Amino acid sequence: MKRRIALIALLLLVVGAVLVLRWSPGGYAAQDRDSTMAPFSAQHWTGTDELGRDRTVRVSAALLIGLAGATAAAALTTAIAGCFGLAAAFSPSWVAALLIFLSDVFLSLPWLFLLMMARSLLPLTASPLDTAVATFVVLAALGWPACARVIYRGALALRSAEWMIQGHACGLRTRQLVRLHLLPHLRSLLLPQFLICVPAFIVAEANLGALGLGVGEPLPSWGSMLLELDNSALLARSHWVYLPIALLIIVLLTLESFATEVETHA
Amino acid sequence: MSPPLLQVRLAAAYGKRRVLGDVQFDLCRGEALGMVGTSGAGKTTLVMALLGLLPWRGGQVSGEVLIDGANLLTLPAHQARQMRGKRIALVPQSPMTALNAAVSLRSHFEEAWRAHESSGARALEPRLRQLISEVQLPAGDGFLRRKPGQISVGQAQRVLIALALLHRPAILLADEPTSALDPVTQAEIVKLLRQLSQRNGTALLYISHDLLSVLHLCDRLAVLHDGAIVECMSVAHLEQAQHPATLSLLRALPVPVGLLLSHSRTAMDSSARAQDSIELHLSNANREAQREDTHLTAGNLDNPCEEQMRSYSCTH
Repeated sequence: MKRRIALIALLLLVVGAVLVLRWSPGGYAAQDRDSTMAPFSAQHWTGTDELGRDRTVRVSAALLIGLAGATAAAALTTAIAGCFGLAAAFSPSWVAALLIFLSDVFLSLPWLFLLMMARSLLPLTASPLDTAVATFVVLAALGWPACARVIYRGALALRSAEWMIQGHACGLRTRQLVRLHLLPHLRSLLLPQFLICVPAFIVAEANLGALGLGVGEPLPSWGSMLLELDNSALLARSHWVYLPIALLIIVLLTLESFATEVETHA
Repeated sequence: MSPPLLQVRLAAAYGKRRVLGDVQFDLCRGEALGMVGTSGAGKTTLVMALLGLLPWRGGQVSGEVLIDGANLLTLPAHQARQMRGKRIALVPQSPMTALNAAVSLRSHFEEAWRAHESSGARALEPRLRQLISEVQLPAGDGFLRRKPGQISVGQAQRVLIALALLHRPAILLADEPTSALDPVTQAEIVKLLRQLSQRNGTALLYISHDLLSVLHLCDRLAVLHDGAIVECMSVAHLEQAQHPATLSLLRALPVPVGLLLSHSRTAMDSSARAQDSIELHLSNANREAQREDTHLTAGNLDNPCEEQMRSYSCTH
Protein backbone atom coordinates (compact mmCIF):
# COMPACT_ATOMS: atom_id res chain seq x y z
CA MET A 1 0.00 0.00 0.00
CA LYS A 2 2.72 2.46 1.05
CA ARG A 3 4.70 1.33 -1.94
CA ARG A 4 1.80 2.21 -4.22
CA ILE A 5 1.36 5.66 -2.62
CA ALA A 6 5.06 6.43 -3.07
CA LEU A 7 4.95 5.24 -6.66
CA ILE A 8 1.83 7.32 -7.47
CA ALA A 9 3.34 10.43 -5.83
CA LEU A 10 6.50 10.02 -7.89
CA LEU A 11 4.50 9.45 -11.06
CA LEU A 12 2.40 12.58 -10.44
CA LEU A 13 5.55 14.66 -9.93
CA VAL A 14 7.09 13.37 -13.15
CA VAL A 15 3.91 13.83 -15.21
CA GLY A 16 3.45 17.33 -13.77
CA ALA A 17 7.04 18.24 -14.63
CA VAL A 18 6.66 16.95 -18.19
CA LEU A 19 3.42 18.90 -18.70
CA VAL A 20 4.98 22.10 -17.32
CA LEU A 21 7.92 21.74 -19.71
CA ARG A 22 5.61 21.08 -22.69
CA TRP A 23 3.41 24.08 -22.00
CA SER A 24 6.18 26.53 -21.12
CA PRO A 25 6.49 29.10 -23.92
CA GLY A 26 10.26 29.58 -23.84
CA GLY A 27 11.75 26.52 -22.22
CA TYR A 28 14.05 26.36 -19.22
CA ALA A 29 16.65 28.76 -20.63
CA ALA A 30 14.31 31.60 -21.72
CA GLN A 31 15.14 34.82 -19.91
CA ASP A 32 12.50 37.44 -19.13
CA ARG A 33 14.80 40.44 -18.55
CA ASP A 34 11.88 42.69 -17.55
CA SER A 35 11.08 40.65 -14.47
CA THR A 36 14.24 39.31 -12.81
CA MET A 37 13.97 38.02 -9.27
CA ALA A 38 10.22 38.46 -9.56
CA PRO A 39 7.81 37.14 -6.93
CA PHE A 40 4.49 35.47 -7.85
CA SER A 41 2.84 36.83 -11.01
CA ALA A 42 0.27 35.59 -13.51
CA GLN A 43 3.06 35.00 -16.02
CA HIS A 44 5.51 33.34 -13.61
CA TRP A 45 3.54 31.43 -10.97
CA THR A 46 6.47 30.78 -8.71
CA GLY A 47 8.53 33.78 -9.70
CA THR A 48 11.83 34.04 -11.58
CA ASP A 49 15.53 33.85 -10.79
CA GLU A 50 18.26 36.47 -11.15
CA LEU A 51 18.22 36.13 -14.91
CA GLY A 52 14.42 36.24 -15.15
CA ARG A 53 14.01 32.52 -15.89
CA ASP A 54 10.72 30.93 -14.83
CA ARG A 55 11.18 28.94 -11.61
CA THR A 56 8.37 26.43 -12.25
CA VAL A 57 9.87 25.44 -15.58
CA ARG A 58 13.39 25.22 -14.22
CA VAL A 59 12.49 23.17 -11.18
CA SER A 60 10.48 20.78 -13.41
CA ALA A 61 13.44 20.31 -15.71
CA ALA A 62 15.77 19.84 -12.73
CA LEU A 63 13.47 17.16 -11.34
CA LEU A 64 13.42 15.23 -14.61
CA ILE A 65 17.16 15.56 -15.26
CA GLY A 66 18.03 14.60 -11.69
CA LEU A 67 15.70 11.61 -11.70
CA ALA A 68 16.74 10.34 -15.12
CA GLY A 69 20.44 10.83 -14.48
CA ALA A 70 20.34 9.27 -11.02
CA THR A 71 18.32 6.28 -12.28
CA ALA A 72 20.73 5.67 -15.14
CA ALA A 73 23.74 6.07 -12.85
CA ALA A 74 22.18 3.74 -10.27
CA ALA A 75 21.52 1.09 -12.94
CA LEU A 76 25.10 1.43 -14.18
CA THR A 77 26.65 1.25 -10.72
CA THR A 78 24.48 -1.76 -9.74
CA ALA A 79 25.50 -3.53 -12.95
CA ILE A 80 29.19 -2.83 -12.27
CA ALA A 81 28.81 -3.97 -8.67
CA GLY A 82 26.98 -7.13 -9.76
CA CYS A 83 29.64 -8.08 -12.31
CA PHE A 84 32.45 -7.26 -9.90
CA GLY A 85 30.92 -9.13 -6.97
CA LEU A 86 30.18 -12.20 -9.08
CA ALA A 87 33.64 -12.17 -10.64
CA ALA A 88 35.21 -12.03 -7.18
CA ALA A 89 32.98 -14.78 -5.79
CA PHE A 90 33.72 -17.17 -8.67
CA SER A 91 37.45 -16.56 -9.01
CA PRO A 92 40.29 -18.35 -7.25
CA SER A 93 40.82 -16.92 -3.79
CA TRP A 94 43.85 -14.83 -4.73
CA VAL A 95 41.95 -13.11 -7.57
CA ALA A 96 39.06 -12.48 -5.20
CA ALA A 97 41.45 -10.95 -2.66
CA LEU A 98 42.88 -8.71 -5.38
CA LEU A 99 39.45 -7.58 -6.53
CA ILE A 100 38.31 -6.84 -3.00
CA PHE A 101 41.50 -4.87 -2.42
CA LEU A 102 40.70 -2.91 -5.58
CA SER A 103 37.28 -2.04 -4.21
CA ASP A 104 38.96 -0.99 -0.94
CA VAL A 105 41.20 1.34 -2.93
CA PHE A 106 38.15 2.81 -4.63
CA LEU A 107 36.41 3.29 -1.30
CA SER A 108 39.39 5.11 0.18
CA LEU A 109 39.88 7.52 -2.74
CA PRO A 110 39.20 11.19 -1.93
CA TRP A 111 36.31 11.23 -4.36
CA LEU A 112 35.42 14.92 -4.07
CA PHE A 113 38.92 15.82 -5.10
CA LEU A 114 38.73 13.33 -7.94
CA LEU A 115 35.45 14.78 -9.12
CA MET A 116 36.98 18.23 -9.18
CA MET A 117 39.88 16.83 -11.22
CA ALA A 118 37.55 15.00 -13.56
CA ARG A 119 35.46 18.11 -14.09
CA SER A 120 38.50 20.28 -14.64
CA LEU A 121 39.65 17.88 -17.33
CA LEU A 122 36.46 18.65 -19.27
CA PRO A 123 37.08 21.59 -21.63
CA LEU A 124 35.34 24.83 -20.69
CA THR A 125 33.49 24.67 -23.97
CA ALA A 126 31.91 21.36 -23.04
CA SER A 127 28.20 21.41 -23.72
CA PRO A 128 25.84 21.43 -20.68
CA LEU A 129 24.60 17.99 -21.69
CA ASP A 130 28.17 16.62 -21.64
CA THR A 131 28.70 17.99 -18.15
CA ALA A 132 25.45 16.33 -17.00
CA VAL A 133 26.49 12.98 -18.49
CA ALA A 134 30.00 13.31 -17.04
CA THR A 135 28.63 14.10 -13.58
CA PHE A 136 26.39 11.06 -13.44
CA VAL A 137 28.96 8.71 -15.00
CA VAL A 138 31.50 9.79 -12.39
CA LEU A 139 28.91 9.20 -9.65
CA ALA A 140 28.23 5.71 -11.03
CA ALA A 141 31.95 4.99 -11.28
CA LEU A 142 32.42 5.93 -7.63
CA GLY A 143 29.29 4.34 -6.24
CA TRP A 144 29.88 0.65 -6.94
CA PRO A 145 32.49 -0.57 -4.40
CA ALA A 146 30.27 -0.65 -1.32
CA CYS A 147 27.52 -2.33 -3.34
CA ALA A 148 30.00 -4.81 -4.88
CA ARG A 149 30.98 -5.97 -1.40
CA VAL A 150 27.35 -6.79 -0.60
CA ILE A 151 26.94 -8.73 -3.87
CA TYR A 152 30.24 -10.56 -3.28
CA ARG A 153 29.14 -11.70 0.18
CA GLY A 154 25.76 -12.79 -1.17
CA ALA A 155 27.23 -14.67 -4.13
CA LEU A 156 29.78 -16.34 -1.85
CA ALA A 157 26.99 -17.73 0.30
CA LEU A 158 25.08 -18.91 -2.77
CA ARG A 159 28.21 -20.43 -4.34
CA SER A 160 28.31 -23.35 -1.94
CA ALA A 161 24.52 -23.85 -1.82
CA GLU A 162 23.34 -27.40 -2.47
CA TRP A 163 21.59 -26.49 -5.69
CA MET A 164 24.74 -24.84 -7.00
CA ILE A 165 26.69 -28.03 -6.32
CA GLN A 166 23.91 -29.96 -8.04
CA GLY A 167 24.18 -27.57 -10.99
CA HIS A 168 27.89 -28.30 -11.22
CA ALA A 169 27.20 -32.02 -10.97
CA CYS A 170 24.83 -31.67 -13.95
CA GLY A 171 27.73 -30.16 -15.86
CA LEU A 172 26.22 -26.70 -16.25
CA ARG A 173 28.51 -24.04 -17.69
CA THR A 174 29.46 -21.16 -15.41
CA ARG A 175 27.33 -18.70 -17.34
CA GLN A 176 24.34 -21.05 -17.10
CA LEU A 177 24.88 -21.29 -13.36
CA VAL A 178 25.00 -17.53 -13.03
CA ARG A 179 21.96 -16.89 -15.20
CA LEU A 180 19.75 -19.72 -14.02
CA HIS A 181 20.78 -20.13 -10.42
CA LEU A 182 22.41 -16.96 -9.16
CA LEU A 183 20.60 -14.02 -10.71
CA PRO A 184 17.11 -14.97 -9.43
CA HIS A 185 18.57 -15.15 -5.93
CA LEU A 186 20.75 -12.07 -6.26
CA ARG A 187 17.74 -10.04 -7.39
CA SER A 188 16.76 -9.57 -3.76
CA LEU A 189 20.18 -7.98 -3.18
CA LEU A 190 20.50 -6.03 -6.43
CA LEU A 191 17.06 -4.40 -6.46
CA PRO A 192 17.34 -2.68 -3.03
CA GLN A 193 20.89 -1.60 -3.89
CA PHE A 194 19.60 0.00 -7.06
CA LEU A 195 16.68 1.69 -5.32
CA ILE A 196 18.91 3.07 -2.55
CA CYS A 197 21.42 4.40 -5.08
CA VAL A 198 18.83 6.57 -6.88
CA PRO A 199 18.13 9.04 -4.03
CA ALA A 200 21.78 8.89 -2.96
CA PHE A 201 22.88 10.00 -6.43
CA ILE A 202 20.26 12.77 -6.53
CA VAL A 203 21.65 14.15 -3.27
CA ALA A 204 25.23 13.72 -4.50
CA GLU A 205 24.42 15.64 -7.69
CA ALA A 206 22.73 18.38 -5.64
CA ASN A 207 25.82 18.70 -3.43
CA LEU A 208 28.17 18.75 -6.39
CA GLY A 209 25.97 21.30 -8.16
CA ALA A 210 26.03 23.54 -5.10
CA LEU A 211 29.84 23.44 -5.33
CA GLY A 212 29.63 24.36 -8.99
CA LEU A 213 30.86 20.92 -10.07
CA GLY A 214 27.59 19.44 -11.25
CA VAL A 215 25.45 19.93 -14.31
CA GLY A 216 26.53 23.02 -16.27
CA GLU A 217 24.41 26.09 -16.95
CA PRO A 218 22.01 26.81 -18.52
CA LEU A 219 20.79 23.24 -17.86
CA PRO A 220 18.91 23.39 -14.56
CA SER A 221 19.71 20.93 -11.75
CA TRP A 222 18.94 20.57 -8.09
CA GLY A 223 22.41 21.83 -7.28
CA SER A 224 22.21 25.06 -9.27
CA MET A 225 18.64 25.68 -8.03
CA LEU A 226 19.74 25.29 -4.41
CA LEU A 227 22.57 27.72 -5.06
CA GLU A 228 19.96 30.47 -5.14
CA LEU A 229 19.46 29.98 -1.42
CA ASP A 230 22.68 31.86 -0.61
CA ASN A 231 21.37 34.96 -2.38
CA SER A 232 19.95 37.00 0.53
CA ALA A 233 18.40 39.61 -1.77
CA LEU A 234 16.38 36.87 -3.47
CA LEU A 235 15.41 35.28 -0.16
CA ALA A 236 13.92 38.57 1.02
CA ARG A 237 11.91 39.03 -2.17
CA SER A 238 9.96 35.77 -2.40
CA HIS A 239 9.27 32.60 -0.45
CA TRP A 240 9.15 30.66 -3.74
CA VAL A 241 12.94 30.44 -3.55
CA TYR A 242 12.35 27.53 -1.19
CA LEU A 243 10.34 25.61 -3.78
CA PRO A 244 13.31 23.60 -5.19
CA ILE A 245 14.51 22.41 -1.80
CA ALA A 246 10.98 21.52 -0.73
CA LEU A 247 10.44 19.51 -3.91
CA LEU A 248 13.84 17.85 -3.57
CA ILE A 249 12.93 16.69 -0.07
CA ILE A 250 9.59 15.33 -1.32
CA VAL A 251 11.25 13.45 -4.18
CA LEU A 252 13.89 11.96 -1.89
CA LEU A 253 11.26 10.99 0.66
CA THR A 254 9.15 9.13 -1.89
CA LEU A 255 12.22 7.37 -3.31
CA GLU A 256 13.50 6.38 0.13
CA SER A 257 10.16 5.10 1.34
CA PHE A 258 9.68 3.16 -1.90
CA ALA A 259 13.12 1.56 -1.46
CA THR A 260 12.34 0.69 2.16
CA GLU A 261 9.00 -0.85 1.21
CA VAL A 262 10.52 -2.95 -1.55
CA GLU A 263 13.29 -4.11 0.74
CA THR A 264 10.96 -5.18 3.54
CA HIS A 265 8.52 -6.94 1.21
CA ALA A 266 11.09 -8.48 -1.12
CA MET B 1 37.54 -58.79 -19.50
CA SER B 2 37.05 -55.10 -20.14
CA PRO B 3 38.81 -52.64 -17.82
CA PRO B 4 36.69 -51.11 -15.02
CA LEU B 5 34.54 -48.12 -15.96
CA LEU B 6 35.62 -46.15 -12.93
CA GLN B 7 38.93 -46.49 -11.14
CA VAL B 8 39.35 -44.48 -7.98
CA ARG B 9 42.41 -43.87 -5.88
CA LEU B 10 42.22 -40.66 -3.94
CA ALA B 11 42.84 -38.77 -0.72
CA ALA B 12 41.00 -35.66 0.38
CA ALA B 13 41.38 -33.00 3.03
CA TYR B 14 39.86 -29.74 4.19
CA GLY B 15 42.89 -27.60 4.86
CA LYS B 16 45.02 -29.61 7.26
CA ARG B 17 42.18 -31.89 8.34
CA ARG B 18 42.48 -35.14 6.40
CA VAL B 19 39.07 -36.68 5.71
CA LEU B 20 39.82 -39.42 3.21
CA GLY B 21 43.10 -41.29 3.60
CA ASP B 22 43.63 -43.62 0.67
CA VAL B 23 40.33 -44.65 -0.88
CA GLN B 24 40.68 -47.21 -3.66
CA PHE B 25 37.97 -49.03 -5.55
CA ASP B 26 36.85 -49.96 -9.05
CA LEU B 27 33.41 -49.97 -10.57
CA CYS B 28 32.55 -52.12 -13.56
CA ARG B 29 29.92 -51.61 -16.23
CA GLY B 30 26.43 -52.33 -14.94
CA GLU B 31 27.64 -53.10 -11.44
CA ALA B 32 26.04 -51.79 -8.25
CA LEU B 33 28.53 -51.04 -5.48
CA GLY B 34 27.25 -50.08 -2.08
CA MET B 35 29.37 -47.78 0.07
CA VAL B 36 28.36 -47.83 3.70
CA GLY B 37 29.74 -46.04 6.70
CA THR B 38 28.63 -44.18 9.78
CA SER B 39 28.06 -40.42 9.71
CA GLY B 40 31.37 -38.59 9.50
CA ALA B 41 33.11 -41.47 7.74
CA GLY B 42 33.64 -39.20 4.73
CA LYS B 43 30.84 -40.37 2.45
CA THR B 44 29.70 -37.00 1.15
CA THR B 45 33.30 -35.82 0.86
CA LEU B 46 33.96 -38.88 -1.31
CA VAL B 47 31.04 -38.00 -3.61
CA MET B 48 32.24 -34.44 -4.01
CA ALA B 49 35.79 -35.64 -4.61
CA LEU B 50 34.65 -38.14 -7.26
CA LEU B 51 32.95 -35.37 -9.20
CA GLY B 52 35.91 -33.03 -8.82
CA LEU B 53 33.69 -30.60 -6.93
CA LEU B 54 35.42 -30.68 -3.56
CA PRO B 55 37.15 -27.31 -4.16
CA TRP B 56 33.66 -25.69 -4.11
CA ARG B 57 33.31 -27.02 -0.58
CA GLY B 58 36.74 -25.73 0.40
CA GLY B 59 38.51 -29.09 0.20
CA GLN B 60 41.49 -30.47 -1.71
CA VAL B 61 41.75 -33.81 -3.51
CA SER B 62 44.82 -35.70 -4.61
CA GLY B 63 45.02 -38.94 -6.55
CA GLU B 64 42.96 -39.97 -9.54
CA VAL B 65 39.40 -40.63 -10.61
CA LEU B 66 39.73 -42.46 -13.92
CA ILE B 67 36.65 -42.48 -16.12
CA ASP B 68 37.25 -44.07 -19.55
CA GLY B 69 40.96 -43.73 -18.79
CA ALA B 70 40.80 -39.94 -18.26
CA ASN B 71 41.55 -38.50 -14.84
CA LEU B 72 38.64 -36.25 -13.91
CA LEU B 73 40.72 -34.49 -11.26
CA THR B 74 43.44 -33.27 -13.62
CA LEU B 75 41.35 -32.62 -16.73
CA PRO B 76 41.04 -28.98 -17.83
CA ALA B 77 37.95 -27.37 -16.30
CA HIS B 78 35.87 -27.40 -19.50
CA GLN B 79 36.57 -31.08 -20.18
CA ALA B 80 35.77 -32.03 -16.59
CA ARG B 81 32.50 -30.16 -16.96
CA GLN B 82 31.67 -32.18 -20.07
CA MET B 83 32.15 -35.37 -18.04
CA ARG B 84 29.83 -34.31 -15.23
CA GLY B 85 26.21 -34.99 -16.03
CA LYS B 86 27.14 -36.78 -19.25
CA ARG B 87 29.36 -39.66 -18.11
CA ILE B 88 29.01 -39.45 -14.35
CA ALA B 89 25.90 -38.08 -12.67
CA LEU B 90 24.78 -37.42 -9.11
CA VAL B 91 21.61 -38.13 -7.17
CA PRO B 92 22.08 -35.93 -4.10
CA GLN B 93 21.22 -36.41 -0.47
CA SER B 94 18.66 -33.71 0.26
CA PRO B 95 16.22 -33.35 -2.64
CA MET B 96 14.61 -30.14 -1.43
CA THR B 97 17.79 -28.09 -1.19
CA ALA B 98 19.35 -29.57 -4.31
CA LEU B 99 16.71 -27.96 -6.53
CA ASN B 100 16.74 -24.22 -6.99
CA ALA B 101 13.54 -22.94 -5.41
CA ALA B 102 13.41 -19.89 -7.68
CA VAL B 103 13.31 -21.90 -10.92
CA SER B 104 10.69 -24.23 -12.43
CA LEU B 105 11.37 -27.94 -12.81
CA ARG B 106 11.30 -27.59 -16.59
CA SER B 107 14.07 -24.98 -16.47
CA HIS B 108 16.21 -27.41 -14.48
CA PHE B 109 15.85 -29.97 -17.26
CA GLU B 110 16.32 -27.47 -20.08
CA GLU B 111 19.54 -26.07 -18.66
CA ALA B 112 20.93 -29.52 -17.91
CA TRP B 113 20.04 -30.54 -21.49
CA ARG B 114 21.67 -27.46 -22.98
CA ALA B 115 24.85 -28.11 -20.98
CA HIS B 116 25.66 -31.18 -23.10
CA GLU B 117 23.40 -31.05 -26.17
CA SER B 118 23.42 -28.50 -28.92
CA SER B 119 20.33 -29.99 -30.58
CA GLY B 120 17.97 -27.55 -28.86
CA ALA B 121 14.80 -27.88 -26.84
CA ARG B 122 12.89 -29.90 -29.44
CA ALA B 123 15.06 -32.99 -28.94
CA LEU B 124 14.55 -32.70 -25.20
CA GLU B 125 10.78 -33.28 -25.32
CA PRO B 126 10.69 -37.01 -26.18
CA ARG B 127 13.55 -37.74 -23.78
CA LEU B 128 11.83 -35.80 -21.02
CA ARG B 129 8.53 -37.64 -21.54
CA GLN B 130 10.35 -40.97 -21.41
CA LEU B 131 12.23 -40.01 -18.24
CA ILE B 132 9.14 -38.73 -16.47
CA SER B 133 7.39 -42.04 -17.04
CA GLU B 134 10.52 -44.01 -16.05
CA VAL B 135 10.74 -42.33 -12.68
CA GLN B 136 6.93 -42.47 -12.32
CA LEU B 137 6.23 -38.76 -12.04
CA PRO B 138 2.91 -37.26 -13.15
CA ALA B 139 2.84 -36.86 -16.93
CA GLY B 140 1.77 -33.59 -18.48
CA ASP B 141 3.20 -30.14 -18.71
CA GLY B 142 1.50 -28.85 -15.56
CA PHE B 143 3.83 -30.77 -13.30
CA LEU B 144 7.03 -29.51 -14.92
CA ARG B 145 5.80 -25.93 -14.67
CA ARG B 146 5.83 -26.19 -10.89
CA LYS B 147 8.63 -24.90 -8.72
CA PRO B 148 10.47 -27.18 -6.29
CA GLY B 149 8.53 -25.78 -3.35
CA GLN B 150 5.28 -27.04 -4.85
CA ILE B 151 6.14 -30.75 -4.98
CA SER B 152 6.68 -33.38 -2.30
CA VAL B 153 10.11 -34.56 -1.14
CA GLY B 154 9.60 -37.94 -2.80
CA GLN B 155 8.71 -36.27 -6.09
CA ALA B 156 11.74 -33.98 -5.76
CA GLN B 157 13.97 -37.04 -5.37
CA ARG B 158 12.41 -38.57 -8.49
CA VAL B 159 13.00 -35.31 -10.35
CA LEU B 160 16.66 -35.44 -9.31
CA ILE B 161 16.97 -39.04 -10.46
CA ALA B 162 15.45 -38.07 -13.80
CA LEU B 163 17.83 -35.12 -13.98
CA ALA B 164 20.79 -37.41 -13.30
CA LEU B 165 19.66 -39.89 -15.97
CA LEU B 166 18.96 -37.22 -18.59
CA HIS B 167 22.10 -37.86 -20.63
CA ARG B 168 22.20 -41.63 -19.96
CA PRO B 169 25.37 -41.49 -17.84
CA ALA B 170 27.55 -44.58 -17.57
CA ILE B 171 28.01 -44.02 -13.83
CA LEU B 172 25.41 -42.92 -11.33
CA LEU B 173 26.48 -41.68 -7.90
CA ALA B 174 23.69 -41.85 -5.35
CA ASP B 175 24.61 -40.01 -2.16
CA GLU B 176 22.21 -41.26 0.51
CA PRO B 177 19.27 -40.68 -1.84
CA THR B 178 16.74 -42.03 0.63
CA SER B 179 17.84 -40.38 3.86
CA ALA B 180 15.31 -37.54 3.63
CA LEU B 181 12.38 -39.80 2.75
CA ASP B 182 9.75 -41.74 4.66
CA PRO B 183 10.09 -45.56 4.68
CA VAL B 184 7.50 -46.19 1.96
CA THR B 185 9.05 -43.67 -0.40
CA GLN B 186 12.51 -44.99 0.52
CA ALA B 187 11.52 -48.44 -0.63
CA GLU B 188 10.07 -47.06 -3.85
CA ILE B 189 13.19 -45.05 -4.64
CA VAL B 190 15.48 -48.03 -3.96
CA LYS B 191 13.34 -50.18 -6.23
CA LEU B 192 13.40 -47.50 -8.89
CA LEU B 193 17.20 -47.21 -8.76
CA ARG B 194 17.55 -50.98 -9.04
CA GLN B 195 15.23 -51.16 -12.04
CA LEU B 196 16.93 -48.28 -13.78
CA SER B 197 20.45 -49.57 -13.29
CA GLN B 198 19.41 -53.05 -14.45
CA ARG B 199 17.52 -51.76 -17.48
CA ASN B 200 20.12 -49.26 -18.68
CA GLY B 201 23.26 -51.06 -17.57
CA THR B 202 24.26 -48.00 -15.57
CA ALA B 203 26.98 -48.58 -13.01
CA LEU B 204 25.73 -47.48 -9.62
CA LEU B 205 27.73 -46.27 -6.66
CA TYR B 206 25.19 -46.26 -3.88
CA ILE B 207 26.38 -44.43 -0.79
CA SER B 208 24.35 -44.86 2.34
CA HIS B 209 24.37 -45.43 6.06
CA ASP B 210 21.34 -47.66 5.58
CA LEU B 211 22.76 -51.16 5.23
CA LEU B 212 19.32 -52.62 4.55
CA SER B 213 18.80 -50.72 1.32
CA VAL B 214 22.36 -51.49 0.25
CA LEU B 215 21.73 -55.22 0.70
CA HIS B 216 18.73 -54.93 -1.58
CA LEU B 217 20.32 -52.86 -4.24
CA CYS B 218 23.95 -53.80 -4.55
CA ASP B 219 26.16 -56.63 -5.75
CA ARG B 220 29.20 -55.56 -3.77
CA LEU B 221 29.65 -53.69 -0.56
CA ALA B 222 32.50 -51.44 0.59
CA VAL B 223 32.75 -50.21 4.15
CA LEU B 224 34.10 -46.72 4.64
CA HIS B 225 35.52 -46.09 8.07
CA ASP B 226 37.64 -43.14 9.22
CA GLY B 227 38.35 -42.08 5.66
CA ALA B 228 39.48 -45.43 4.32
CA ILE B 229 37.79 -48.45 2.78
CA VAL B 230 38.33 -51.14 5.40
CA GLU B 231 36.46 -53.99 3.79
CA CYS B 232 35.09 -54.67 0.32
CA MET B 233 33.20 -57.85 -0.46
CA SER B 234 30.33 -59.38 -2.35
CA VAL B 235 27.01 -58.85 -0.58
CA ALA B 236 26.39 -62.61 -0.70
CA HIS B 237 29.51 -63.18 1.44
CA LEU B 238 28.66 -60.55 4.00
CA GLU B 239 28.46 -63.11 6.78
CA GLN B 240 32.22 -63.60 6.49
CA ALA B 241 32.93 -59.95 7.31
CA GLN B 242 35.77 -59.50 9.77
CA HIS B 243 36.55 -55.84 10.27
CA PRO B 244 35.13 -54.34 13.51
CA ALA B 245 33.52 -51.44 11.59
CA THR B 246 31.65 -53.86 9.33
CA LEU B 247 30.64 -55.99 12.26
CA SER B 248 29.27 -53.05 14.19
CA LEU B 249 27.24 -52.03 11.13
CA LEU B 250 25.89 -55.57 10.88
CA ARG B 251 25.07 -55.61 14.57
CA ALA B 252 23.00 -52.46 14.12
CA LEU B 253 20.68 -54.33 11.73
CA PRO B 254 17.26 -55.15 13.18
CA VAL B 255 17.62 -58.82 12.12
CA PRO B 256 20.72 -61.00 11.73
CA VAL B 257 22.32 -60.60 8.34
CA GLY B 258 22.01 -64.27 7.43
CA LEU B 259 18.27 -64.14 7.74
CA LEU B 260 18.17 -60.95 5.70
CA LEU B 261 20.19 -62.42 2.88
CA SER B 262 18.06 -65.55 2.72
CA HIS B 263 14.98 -63.28 2.65
CA SER B 264 16.49 -61.30 -0.17
CA ARG B 265 17.36 -64.42 -2.10
CA THR B 266 13.87 -65.85 -1.85
CA ALA B 267 12.52 -62.44 -2.73
CA MET B 268 14.67 -62.27 -5.83
CA ASP B 269 13.29 -65.60 -6.95
CA SER B 270 9.69 -64.57 -6.49
CA SER B 271 7.79 -61.77 -8.13
CA ALA B 272 8.52 -58.06 -7.93
CA ARG B 273 5.46 -57.63 -5.77
CA ALA B 274 6.96 -59.89 -3.14
CA GLN B 275 10.18 -57.87 -3.22
CA ASP B 276 8.24 -54.72 -2.50
CA SER B 277 6.46 -56.21 0.44
CA ILE B 278 9.72 -57.37 1.95
CA GLU B 279 11.30 -54.01 1.40
CA LEU B 280 8.41 -52.32 3.10
CA HIS B 281 8.52 -54.87 5.83
CA LEU B 282 12.19 -54.31 6.45
CA SER B 283 11.87 -50.56 6.37
CA ASN B 284 9.11 -50.77 8.90
CA ALA B 285 11.18 -53.10 11.04
CA ASN B 286 14.02 -50.64 10.84
CA ARG B 287 11.78 -47.83 11.93
CA GLU B 288 10.36 -49.89 14.74
CA ALA B 289 13.87 -50.71 15.84
CA GLN B 290 14.72 -47.05 16.17
CA ARG B 291 11.57 -46.49 18.16
CA GLU B 292 12.33 -49.43 20.41
CA ASP B 293 15.82 -48.12 21.10
CA THR B 294 14.43 -45.04 22.76
CA HIS B 295 11.79 -46.57 24.98
CA LEU B 296 11.47 -50.28 25.48
CA THR B 297 7.77 -50.61 26.12
CA ALA B 298 5.91 -53.87 25.78
CA GLY B 299 3.76 -53.89 22.68
CA ASN B 300 1.85 -56.49 20.73
CA LEU B 301 4.30 -58.76 19.01
CA ASP B 302 2.32 -59.68 15.93
CA ASN B 303 5.23 -58.82 13.67
CA PRO B 304 7.71 -61.72 13.43
CA CYS B 305 10.53 -59.42 12.37
CA GLU B 306 9.90 -57.19 15.32
CA GLU B 307 9.89 -60.15 17.63
CA GLN B 308 13.20 -61.34 16.28
CA MET B 309 14.64 -57.89 16.67
CA ARG B 310 13.48 -57.75 20.24
CA SER B 311 15.21 -60.98 21.18
CA TYR B 312 18.23 -59.79 19.22
CA SER B 313 18.53 -56.56 21.14
CA CYS B 314 18.13 -58.47 24.39
CA THR B 315 21.01 -60.82 23.71
CA HIS B 316 23.37 -58.04 22.60
